[in-house]
Amino acid sequence: MKKLAAFIAVIVLLSVLHSTFLVANRQQVPTASGPQTMQVQDAPASGDSDKGAVEAVRKFLSFTGFANVKAGNMLMIAVGLLFIFLAVKYEYEPLLLIPIGTGILLGNIPFQSDAGLMIGIYESGSVLNYLYFGVIKGIYPPLIFLGIGAMTDFSSLISNPRLMLLGAAAQIGIFTTFIGALLLGFHPAEAGAIGIIGGADGPTAIFLSSRLANGLNVIGQTINGDPIYVKNLIGPIAIAAYSYMALVPVIQPPIMRLLTTKKERLIRMKPPRAVGRTEKILFPIVGLLLTTFISPSALPLLGMLFFGNLLKESGVTKRLAETSRTALIDIVTIILGLTVGASTQADVFLTPQSIMIFALGAFAFAVSTAGGILFAKVMNLFLKQEDRINPLIGAAGVSAVPDSARVAQVMGLKADPNNHLLMHAMAPNVAGVIGSAVAAGLLLSFLG
Amino acid sequence: MSDLEYGLLISAVGYCVTLLTLALLHFAFRYLPKLLQLQLRARMRKMGQAVLPGEHLPITGDVSAAIATALYLHLNEAHDDEPVKLTIKKISKSYSPWSSKIFGLSRPLRR
Repeated sequence: MKKLAAFIAVIVLLSVLHSTFLVANRQQVPTASGPQTMQVQDAPASGDSDKGAVEAVRKFLSFTGFANVKAGNMLMIAVGLLFIFLAVKYEYEPLLLIPIGTGILLGNIPFQSDAGLMIGIYESGSVLNYLYFGVIKGIYPPLIFLGIGAMTDFSSLISNPRLMLLGAAAQIGIFTTFIGALLLGFHPAEAGAIGIIGGADGPTAIFLSSRLANGLNVIGQTINGDPIYVKNLIGPIAIAAYSYMALVPVIQPPIMRLLTTKKERLIRMKPPRAVGRTEKILFPIVGLLLTTFISPSALPLLGMLFFGNLLKESGVTKRLAETSRTALIDIVTIILGLTVGASTQADVFLTPQSIMIFALGAFAFAVSTAGGILFAKVMNLFLKQEDRINPLIGAAGVSAVPDSARVAQVMGLKADPNNHLLMHAMAPNVAGVIGSAVAAGLLLSFLG
Repeated sequence: MSDLEYGLLISAVGYCVTLLTLALLHFAFRYLPKLLQLQLRARMRKMGQAVLPGEHLPITGDVSAAIATALYLHLNEAHDDEPVKLTIKKISKSYSPWSSKIFGLSRPLRR
């Protein structure tokens, strides 16, 4: 009750401040242009210092956030605060939600956009705009992939390579969502960028949307011959991807329960064999050559992923691997999260398209999860009794490392408290990272 | 070709190629250990050592973990033999002003 009262009090206070400053702003407007402005500005020089001081205060007030606030800003600030709350209270992907939540606050602090202050993320020359350059040009995602490669152990995947197929099967969400977006009237390039949300991989989603739906590419011409630009959907796509990744423990379990029987959830898998050093070193090299020869457009992502893994597994570049998986990825995560969050300025973000993207994103996650589980069940039809796969780990094929693998482990433990699926689930989980990057590369080569 | 038809074509091709890529990777790493074992066998044969039967070569992760734990305990937690005697003994001490709390308190200054 106290919290509610405090909340209402804050809203009332903000409304009063807003109306007060808006009045001040309106009174200032007539003096802001025309010859009268000169008279007012000259007034202090002629001795009327009180009037000049009032005008200065009015001008200052017109620059404050209270005078420029819109309902959209308040809504987005509430979303940012919700992200921070979820991260702090429930520890839902805090490394992502804290920077993104703070970024949303930064991006939605109201200010006079035509005052030339150079502070907004979309204003050329501002600090945030410089940092955002790395998002628009797709610089940050490959650096994130380098760090992921340097911290990922592919042993479970190498020891049971058939689980790679689950990582591929779960990418069906990308392509079904792509078709769904086309049906909703998006341009193919925009639809491709939206579809990649089904890959459940934030950096991949940002990479592809920065190439396909960046607001810069020309996709046609009007009757007058003016260029038609693709929509800038980087912000909504990134926010949708990261939001659903954080909500994996909420989205996946009902689908897993629905598509598996109690008997299937009890399947115990053979423990993975030990993997030799030679195999571990060969994996990034063979993986790099094979995947990038098939999908060269995914080179920035897959190249960096396998390079990072080679740094780790070679055993002779420990310092580089250590830097990649700690300092480098941390720095890039901070900047990426902050700028993606700041890119959600209310006037850019709060559009009907964003709502459609969020709906399509949820659909993509659900279809990807179902795709992985059903494919595992199909594989079981062809496998010997002792080689059978617990279908729960199919859900981990959606990427979202390592949350979806953790969900598979938790669901497995609920069915049988002694059945630990985490190691097995990590295999389709990391295969999902490779699969979503390959799919992104293919979409880029078709639509780019 | 309409956008939807084009999209269906992209989806079909894209999904198949994604599956194919990871299937190829699967086959590569399915047969790689066997290839490495062949090399190992040839090297051992050259050295005149007995060749292990193929099915005994791969060791499960559980076995590796057990061996690693045993080695770790042996190398890092090895310590001197204990006399296997409990050394907890209650010792009653007679009162001593040296350990008395009251003498540890500073007296307030008097002016």
